Amino acid sequence: MTLLEEMSPRDVGERLRIARESAKFTQADAASAIDVARTTLVAIEQGQRRVRINELQQLARAYGTSVNALLRQEAVHVDLAPRFRKLFDSKDEAAADAAELMANLARAEVELENLLGIRRAGNYPPERPILRGDVRVQAEHDATELRQRLGLGIRPASDIVTLLEMEFGVRVYIRRLDSRISGLFAYDEALGACILLNASHPRERRNQSAGHECGHFVSSRRSAEILHRNEPENTREERYANAFGRAFLTPARAVMQKFQEVTAGAERLTRRHVIILAYFFGVSREAIVRRLEELGLVKVGTWDWFQANGGITDEHVRQVLGDLSASDPHKAEADRPTTLRLNLLAAEAYRQGLLSEGQIARLLCLDRIEVRELLDSQEVEGSESDWTILNLPD
Amino acid sequence: MSLIGPSLTCLTDPEALLVADASTVINLNASGCARKVLDALPNRFVVVDAVPLELAGGRQRLRQDSDLLNKLVNSNSVEIVRLDDGAAKDFEQLVVGAAAMTLDDGEAATIAYAVSQNAVALIDERKAIRICGERFPNLRIGCTVDIFAHPEVQRALGKDVLSNAVFNALYQGRMRVLSRHVEWVVELIGAERAGLCVSLPSSVRFGITGCEGKPKLG
Repeated sequence: MTLLEEMSPRDVGERLRIARESAKFTQADAASAIDVARTTLVAIEQGQRRVRINELQQLARAYGTSVNALLRQEAVHVDLAPRFRKLFDSKDEAAADAAELMANLARAEVELENLLGIRRAGNYPPERPILRGDVRVQAEHDATELRQRLGLGIRPASDIVTLLEMEFGVRVYIRRLDSRISGLFAYDEALGACILLNASHPRERRNQSAGHECGHFVSSRRSAEILHRNEPENTREERYANAFGRAFLTPARAVMQKFQEVTAGAERLTRRHVIILAYFFGVSREAIVRRLEELGLVKVGTWDWFQANGGITDEHVRQVLGDLSASDPHKAEADRPTTLRLNLLAAEAYRQGLLSEGQIARLLCLDRIEVRELLDSQEVEGSESDWTILNLPD
Repeated sequence: MSLIGPSLTCLTDPEALLVADASTVINLNASGCARKVLDALPNRFVVVDAVPLELAGGRQRLRQDSDLLNKLVNSNSVEIVRLDDGAAKDFEQLVVGAAAMTLDDGEAATIAYAVSQNAVALIDERKAIRICGERFPNLRIGCTVDIFAHPEVQRALGKDVLSNAVFNALYQGRMRVLSRHVEWVVELIGAERAGLCVSLPSSVRFGITGCEGKPKLG
């Protein structure tokens, strides 16, 4: 009996179905690719008919993957697409691509962790389902509770990405996405909680997106979510997530205290005040002014007034903050073909002989030269000669 | 440096069919003189159809390997072959199973075809070589440097052109070099240029002689 025959036909069929849907093939398209009737393909996907190796090769090619990627024992086959499908128009390819990107990154990371025997520390906070009543009040309360759990008090949480990763074990990816997309959130038993943020957005906007997605993580983590830029608050979940993000990143007490400190002696709110407050809390100029309005510290309409009078520009920020405004390491990392953590894991799997160059290329959606660059950057030089000095003590 | 004799390369049988993985094709393309190298070889040179498919994926990143392979095929320097039913069984054994015991399709198809034809598989990386050794102990295995070190290739290219070709394969293609070839490669391209090739061992690039000073984890 071959290894393929030893595999459960139902498992093989399920893997093929997920691969077909990821490749956006209909059953009819796939059937045509291997020259069988659609009913035969359905039977294969349902595990009622065993797929042959030549059919597998043809299907893998059609789906832009490999037989090994489909049938490797440790490969993670999770399809996040159906969870996002109802959230956006089927023509919204940017959203579909972002969902696929997040799934690819998370699947690769989990497979590499499993291969290397790494257990990711998950320390998720308790879920706080949205109750009847004012969602903003609930969000303020839940954000304060989470801050207390983290021991943050009223300190700014300007590096919320690291908090989510290190404190809770959420998988957070920052990659360049279509400018209309701010972030995505999904949870899956195999992958855990995953967040994807848009590296093309300014750091402050990304923090706010992370705060928003953190709100979903706290309140409704079983539902996938995609946040579009300037999305209207159509649902209670969205209103909660926005309010949660505001309360978490700009806690009322801290904003009031800092506002008083920054504007001491002043009679009017100036651009300089806004820039300093936004920088302190790691949020955008608009977000901090809107928060000041919400807390009654300035008149409602203040942001609109600034906008109508020349706005608060990046040049203004440079004048006030100088070099402080420039640094954004996540942007530079997002310009690399994959994440630093995936690089490390893949290099270690290669070094241990668990994955070949071709398998890593397929897993991380890289070409061979990019894989070699990755391995070289991790000091896993291709020559055998170096491996002797890379060995670690038992 | 005089040209190296035939003992360095394992490609000593002019009748042997050579079956190259994507890695070898990429290295040859990066050398800048793939056609000249292949035409100098007395052997028939083939790639399995999974290899051009894999290289075609690089087009999105503006890699030219797929187009360059097509040119080599059009000039009859390379042939594309397909697995027959017998080879497909070995292919299946190489792609289905635990990650540590399997390879991606191009690598696996290269080995399965070489086994079925009693040919030489040209593969450059350690895991594939290990799996070949365990499963197909009689299979002859070579790598890209074996091609460059072939006496006919050395004769056809001459020292300077060969030196540049190997340097380009290392620098542009990040060619992997097995330990048995390191000395020959460094002598050919020179220590200064070897220092620029990050795929060479750091001991060669920086003149490190041992593991002293390398931090150990507890």
